[in-house]
Amino acid sequence: MKIRLMASMLVLLLVTGAVAAQDVPTITISTWAGVDEAAEFQTILDDINANTTEFQVVHQPIPADYYTVVQTQLAAPGSGADMYWMDQNNMALAADGVFMDLSQCLADSEPQTAGDLSDYYPGILAVNEHDGGVYGLPWIAQPVVLYFNRGLFDAADMDYPTNEWTWDDFMTAATALTLDNDGDGNTDQWGFTNNSWPPPYIFIWQAGGELINADFTEVPLDSPEAVAGMEFYLNTAYNPEMSPSREIIAEQGFGEMFKAGRIAMFMGGAADDLDRVEGLDVGVVPVPANPDTGSRTTFAWNASTVVNASSPLAQENPELLCDALVAVTEGIHHWKVLSPRISQGTAEFLAESEPRKADSAEAIIEAAQDMRALPIFGDYAEFDAIFWSEFWGPLINDETDLSVAELAAEIRPELEDTLP
Amino acid sequence: MTDPGALNTYLPTLIRYLLVMIGIGVIMVVVYRVQRALGVKQEAATGRTLVVPWIIGFVIFTVFTIGASFYLSFTEYNLFSAPEWVGLENYQDLFDVSAGTLESREQRSTDVLERRHQEIVRVEVGGGGFVFGAREHAFWRSMRLTLLYSFISVPLGLFGALGVALLLNQKVRFLSFWRVLYYMPAILPAVATALLWRWMFSQNGIINSLTAPIWQGFGWEAPRWFTDPALALPAFIIISLWGIFGANSVILLAGLKGIPQELYEAAAIDGAGSWAKFRHVTIPMLSPALFYNLVTGTIGALQVFEIAAFIQTPAAVGTFLNWLIYQEAFNLRNMGMASAMAWIMLLIILALTALIFRSSSAWVFYQGAREEAA
Repeated sequence: MKIRLMASMLVLLLVTGAVAAQDVPTITISTWAGVDEAAEFQTILDDINANTTEFQVVHQPIPADYYTVVQTQLAAPGSGADMYWMDQNNMALAADGVFMDLSQCLADSEPQTAGDLSDYYPGILAVNEHDGGVYGLPWIAQPVVLYFNRGLFDAADMDYPTNEWTWDDFMTAATALTLDNDGDGNTDQWGFTNNSWPPPYIFIWQAGGELINADFTEVPLDSPEAVAGMEFYLNTAYNPEMSPSREIIAEQGFGEMFKAGRIAMFMGGAADDLDRVEGLDVGVVPVPANPDTGSRTTFAWNASTVVNASSPLAQENPELLCDALVAVTEGIHHWKVLSPRISQGTAEFLAESEPRKADSAEAIIEAAQDMRALPIFGDYAEFDAIFWSEFWGPLINDETDLSVAELAAEIRPELEDTLP
Repeated sequence: MTDPGALNTYLPTLIRYLLVMIGIGVIMVVVYRVQRALGVKQEAATGRTLVVPWIIGFVIFTVFTIGASFYLSFTEYNLFSAPEWVGLENYQDLFDVSAGTLESREQRSTDVLERRHQEIVRVEVGGGGFVFGAREHAFWRSMRLTLLYSFISVPLGLFGALGVALLLNQKVRFLSFWRVLYYMPAILPAVATALLWRWMFSQNGIINSLTAPIWQGFGWEAPRWFTDPALALPAFIIISLWGIFGANSVILLAGLKGIPQELYEAAAIDGAGSWAKFRHVTIPMLSPALFYNLVTGTIGALQVFEIAAFIQTPAAVGTFLNWLIYQEAFNLRNMGMASAMAWIMLLIILALTALIFRSSSAWVFYQGAREEAA
């Protein structure tokens, strides 16, 4: 009797499955979205699913340990989701052939749609390119901007930062805004804070240096320009005249100190919530310019959606996956700050996508004109690890006896060994 | 909104589960039939057949993975490309160490160490000293932290647990309550306790607030437990003691309860005082439980993971070895190097465990073994 019951249930399951399998194809997408972000993303997917009969997109969030899970899924062909979110660093996986090349299926995309590759900022799209193929559609390009606390500037009777500021103006203000407000001999308020964020690349690039040269053959960190940029950065980090110590940052929180009104200026991503902290009046401007070169280059954190090359649908119906990818990416472009598309790079579009950023929209768009992405290649993870643990870490944590130039020259061959 | 594709999404997995179950069932039937055909009795054949699923799981998920990890330690492997055989290169890189003599205390370690080597240990003697460095300095720093942590926290925890067990073995009121209270740390999630301790050890946390009269009295700054390289290890050891007191105390308490009262009575007749009873009755009779706690405590301390994942340490201190291996494998995708690190860690654990076992004949007293010998 029991065996019959079990057999009946098995047959029912298979029949139901077969019937379900005849429905429109289900396309899965995995993201790192937490509860709130996943809920917002779901509204985009609901809208897409309601307007197509070709496919249904199902969100499978992996809010914890995302890349460990994704890597193990990608390493097991045929398992995992059809599409994934990837940040810029992990786009390096394209070199391992785990993402589907999109260049063919996107070739006939309508102009000024998410499938139109010519509409993306070239530097951001480059992160997704490898060996002549395109392996992801960018959905965000978030330039680093300067957030400032108007209240602290007003209290010190100082002018607000402007789009024309150089680092000289910045240093003067940061020093003047570092104060012992209660007169107990301890600093209570600092002009700035940094702890390897913002990334040092900004200062290398602004000074005219490069992290990696254009043809990926050299790591010229020991060039005079790169060294000057990094020395400037190190002079600001944990400098008691303008920044809190690493211990204070570790204990009180990095961004939290700005939100608590103890930091006057903070460099953050354009999408950060620092300009909507209750009780704070916060302004936003592009990062200051290097006074010698005039460069205002800023770092752009970016992320893309990729297609799992080993997903069964990628083998059976890549065009359908491409259509779904374009639809999802189009939806995200109307949600995230900042859309990586040139045609959407306006203050009006930004404010419409994220009304809470309306006041900062002009500054963000201005910053986007100078944003630059990391040069990603196959072994970038190795390069990144050496850069941070053996070069930048010892420098910023005072764990080396060598000067910036000496350590850069010493580490250069090791970094160049990782280049393609 | 109801997920429209849930069945479609999970059906292939469900079918695979069913196929695996059917496959195991078929293997079990074949194993049973073969045994019976060979003349094995029904009861024995049934028993062996029922063990088959476990053996299959053990071979696939334990034996194979251990073997694969050993093989991968001789390769360069990033999960996506085929492993590339590199022989002993990973091990050579890990053991690429150097040492130098410092002519003055101010001399830079980079002046005397090999190129690309970074300082691991600096020993200052008189006006000069010695410095030891390694190419894979993160590995050796982690090794130093993990071993120091184990060598200090395990004996301290053992003595502390013994003290607690002796207290709980007294005739005190609400004994069950105290036992539950002391065992509580052992059942709390490690992640929650790591976060709790991180908060308690913060500069304005409860520990610094309670000890403020002490350090303020000496005119010292408030301790920065996890950011000061000199204090990180003591802070981790304090955390570990809290956890292992409870679990170890319960085992030792069970051991204390098992000591026959007549041994104490005989000792008293011979004129033994409290210390003599403790030294010559309690400790020998409790030594198997102490031995067990020492072995499991040492292995556990060398494999610390959760607190390393949730409490950052200064770069100069390094991190715990298990966490470093995880980062090497899944952040850097250097599965080969991570496997080599894991095998070195395994050898260290085996060596220490073997050492403890070898020493046991000198200090562990097994009453049953003595009775058998007699």
